[in-house]
Amino acid sequence: MIELENVEKFYVAGSVETRVLKGVSLRIEAGEFVVIMGASGTGKSTLMNVLGCLDKPTAGHYRLDDTDMVNLDDDALSHLRNGKIGFVFQQFHLLDRATALRNVMLPLIYANEYPDDARQRAEKALTAVGLADRMTYRPNQLSGGEQQRVAIARALITDPSILLADEPTGNLDSKSGAEVLAIFQRLHRDGRTIIVVTHDRAVAEHADRIIVLKDGMVAEDQPVAHPRDADVELAAIAGKEAQK
Amino acid sequence: MRVLRIAKEGASALAGHKLRTFFMMAGTIVGIAALTVIMAVGKGTEKKVMKRVNAFGTHAIVITAGGGKGFSPPQAGITTLRLEDAEAIRSQIQGVDVVAPFAMKPDISTKAGSNQVQTRVMAVGPDWHDAWEWYTTDGDPITAEDNSTMARVCLLGTLSVSDLFGSQNPIGEDIQIGNVRFKVKGILEPRGPTPMGGEFDRTIVIPLTTGMRRVFNQDYITNIRVKVKDSRQIESIAEEIRHLLHERHHITPPREDDFAIFSAADIAKMARGISGTLTYLLAALAGLSLLVGGIVLMNILLISVGERKKEIGLRRALGATQGDIFRQFLLESLSVTIIGMVAGSVLGWAVSIALARLTQSPVVISWEPFALALAFALVVGVFFGVQPARRAARLRPVEALR
Repeated sequence: MIELENVEKFYVAGSVETRVLKGVSLRIEAGEFVVIMGASGTGKSTLMNVLGCLDKPTAGHYRLDDTDMVNLDDDALSHLRNGKIGFVFQQFHLLDRATALRNVMLPLIYANEYPDDARQRAEKALTAVGLADRMTYRPNQLSGGEQQRVAIARALITDPSILLADEPTGNLDSKSGAEVLAIFQRLHRDGRTIIVVTHDRAVAEHADRIIVLKDGMVAEDQPVAHPRDADVELAAIAGKEAQK
Repeated sequence: MRVLRIAKEGASALAGHKLRTFFMMAGTIVGIAALTVIMAVGKGTEKKVMKRVNAFGTHAIVITAGGGKGFSPPQAGITTLRLEDAEAIRSQIQGVDVVAPFAMKPDISTKAGSNQVQTRVMAVGPDWHDAWEWYTTDGDPITAEDNSTMARVCLLGTLSVSDLFGSQNPIGEDIQIGNVRFKVKGILEPRGPTPMGGEFDRTIVIPLTTGMRRVFNQDYITNIRVKVKDSRQIESIAEEIRHLLHERHHITPPREDDFAIFSAADIAKMARGISGTLTYLLAALAGLSLLVGGIVLMNILLISVGERKKEIGLRRALGATQGDIFRQFLLESLSVTIIGMVAGSVLGWAVSIALARLTQSPVVISWEPFALALAFALVVGVFFGVQPARRAARLRPVEALR
């Protein structure tokens, strides 16, 4: 469960103070699939950083599973990120030198207890995103969609409370994007909390709730009546390809 | 262990950039190699010095007739060194144990049966054995009685025995020294090479009186060997002897001395020779390499921190603490210097062994340079690694990921 209460974020550059978040309050229940939308400059990325515990708010409170991260020091925030948050980035952010398997295992290195079955877990996670036959590949041997799926496997390896994705389809073609969204929808059906930050309305409509930011505040917060089904879209894309 | 897992991350970063890693290592390799060579050569030199000093006698001062700077045989034709000088040293100088005057010539023709060789002949008093700490293995030493009766008896060094008699037992046999017939009464202990590289064991020893009157036909001596009680006083005693002989020989500067004095300390100085200079040069090279190598290491690490901002940000996002990042970069720096140290030590050993072959001088390979190198590697690795590691750790994850 996520609860933001009057979260503000100011940046000071010289004598100019920029207020990026001007009192954001919202509550996301466990198991929700939420999209945060907004044009660039609306504080979307800043909110994402706060939600990911990468950055502390200037004022307000942020409770993640009843822990108020505002009171935590840097080490505690690192442990919180490691245990509770799975990140998926627009640029994938995989280590070039490491195989898919080692990339997926990376968060476990920083876990309090390194699991004995780290390798089996990573293999399972890669299998779950459909990359059972790509485990020993390096990122440059994988397509963009495959790389993003490795990143999703990596985000899930510590079994986090929330999966936080920043423009996860931004660098992907429509088919790979649909594949990623299909994985998110499946994880959602399995009960995982998913938060996706995007500016793309078509992506947003796959969630069951859309929060729109405007000028550092929540402008809209609406449920999606009929979320789009990424599996259906994938089937359509496959059909078109078959016709060609 | 968390630290081990993090060290592994650092190691794979190094393995992934082999050329860069090599440049980071180069200074350490050269520095440690130079350090290893210094220690090997230094220890070898000390061994050589000790050997020479021991051959000369650690408590010995030798006065030689004739001036000159080097340690050389007595100059011919210098007649001013007298038995009375030895007597004066014995009675007037404090701290001397034994004073043994002797006369020697480097090449006297000696003959036994059909064998004839040129040999060093030393005419010595009864104190000579104690002054040189050189005794007989077979037969009897030169005694006071031999001197007072001007006996025609001699002792042979082991090489002189083989020169003149082959494998035959020479004791009781006759030999001819110059034109005089002598009876062999004993064999000297083997003593090995002289400080100047000759052979002590190619020597014939006869009584001083017999030598002066019957063989050399002279009333002066060529050397006085003094054995001091305490080797720490050796240089001051040598100085006192110099003053005494100046007085006795009426020498005032700028007139040159008609004698030369050598002590164990002088022999050590000569034996060290240029190896001291070489050591300083190598030490400077080692210090400079380690310093420059360390700075290069630090700069490459700093550049690599910049290049790897995204990686650092990612690791932070995935849960690495500042400490984890700090340790990863410090361990990278330490791995570079420690691997560099191992390579440098191996290189240093190879150079030392080659140097030993080339210069025919002893080189001692021991564990000390390795321990010292490890200490240097750790110091350089930490000292030049801390700054980049700190910079990496302080990167804010939000900015690093951008």
